[in-house]
Amino acid sequence: MKKLLVLLIAVVFGGQMYGQTYNTFEPSKTQFMIRGYGHTGFEYMDSGDETESTFLGLAYAPIFLYKHSDRLMFEAELEFVLEGNQLETGLEYADVMYVLNKNITARAGKFLLPFGTFMERLHPAWINRLPNAPLGYGHDGIAPSSGIGVELRGAFDLGGPTLNYSVYATNGPRLNDGSDEPEEAGILRFENYEDTNLAKAYGGRLGLLPFSDSSTEIGFSAYSTSDTGEQDSEYEDVGAFLFALDFSFVKQISGLGGVVDVKAQYNNSNVDTATYFEIVDGIEEEYSFDNQSNSFYGQLSYRPTMASSDFVKKLEFVGRYSDFNAPEGAEWEEKSVQYAFGLNYWLSWRSVVKLSYQTTETEGGHDGDGLTNTDGLFVHWAIGF
Amino acid sequence: MKTIYKTVIGVIVMTIVGITAVACSSTKKGYTDVPDTATAAAKEEFKIEKSGAQMWGETCNRCHIAPSPADYNDTDWETISLHMRVRANLTENESKKIEEFLKSAN
Repeated sequence: MKKLLVLLIAVVFGGQMYGQTYNTFEPSKTQFMIRGYGHTGFEYMDSGDETESTFLGLAYAPIFLYKHSDRLMFEAELEFVLEGNQLETGLEYADVMYVLNKNITARAGKFLLPFGTFMERLHPAWINRLPNAPLGYGHDGIAPSSGIGVELRGAFDLGGPTLNYSVYATNGPRLNDGSDEPEEAGILRFENYEDTNLAKAYGGRLGLLPFSDSSTEIGFSAYSTSDTGEQDSEYEDVGAFLFALDFSFVKQISGLGGVVDVKAQYNNSNVDTATYFEIVDGIEEEYSFDNQSNSFYGQLSYRPTMASSDFVKKLEFVGRYSDFNAPEGAEWEEKSVQYAFGLNYWLSWRSVVKLSYQTTETEGGHDGDGLTNTDGLFVHWAIGF
Repeated sequence: MKTIYKTVIGVIVMTIVGITAVACSSTKKGYTDVPDTATAAAKEEFKIEKSGAQMWGETCNRCHIAPSPADYNDTDWETISLHMRVRANLTENESKKIEEFLKSAN
């Protein structure tokens, strides 16, 4: 019996010792990882008649990456935000990509659209130098952020300068014809999970980095569709053409003792003129307007990375100007200008505390015809992981 | 749609199709190939090739502060590099060299 016990112990523990000693723990060829970012903070807003202050619940955006091989990958980003006493969820993107060769990668699914650079590259809270997006982006913005379709993209090394491109076809936008929301007639909505007509939207971006130090990038984006209205409706043939120009300059300049970061983007949206209806004193009246909108932002930030003090090195000073012009004659006619100033403290390369003051002057808009001045104070903490 | 917009779209599409065609028809094997003629070899000696560390500093900082190599292991960096190559539209050379640097420095 004793011999049998010794033999069993030798087999059980010996096997484990052998396994632990000789297991090389080779990494697998496939890999699944979770990355993402989160942010929280405090906001105080004063628009003259109304003031409000609130702590913000944490927004959490996990990114799932599955590398199937050196060429094939799946990526998805979810978004969880506490807003209006509710948990809102969203699917930012979910796409599969395949590297066809050194210059071409194919993507399919829901992906961030390369319309300029802000929404595709700069909007995550741990990357954006200010707590919110410039005017012209988001729910009432004119820049499309994502689309469902297919895309080819890639980059070329031109022996110093580099050129990058992307070209895509997606479901395209939906025109709000005013039947449900008369006050939003003529606005393009880019959430088109199932296409409402046969036409697709086609677009792309060309980016050029003319200098070998990759400090400067200029880009041109276009987005076009022949139909935006629902199939067989009178708005079906209302087309739209949007374009964007973007600029980026990032460089450590010894004379200034730190890193200078300049970003700018101009967006222009041109929707074909159509006739909409409004109720005035109980009578239905027709109206139309030249449906052109545009927005612009320019941002300058500076990090004194060459300072001798460790504390000063982690500071960042930011200033941003943005404006947004919605069409004259529309129910949502608006002219807005915003100035934003910020002081950031970088706890690490992916965690930042942002203190920001913003002042916005709005003429018109969804909330009324008058002039509104809104001042805001923001303290945000963002972390990427 | 106005004619000018159609023309702009046409030019963009033609440019991208042209670039794609050139890329697909290229017979160049890789970035490390050295031409075998004496003249080309002499020129190659004077060609300054950027290091992965330099590219890491220049390229990542275009959008966000360059990451610390120690924050992820080699396998993680391989996945992140592929993700960033597509997201930021990097060249194959940039992506490979930055990945090699991150793996060597973590």
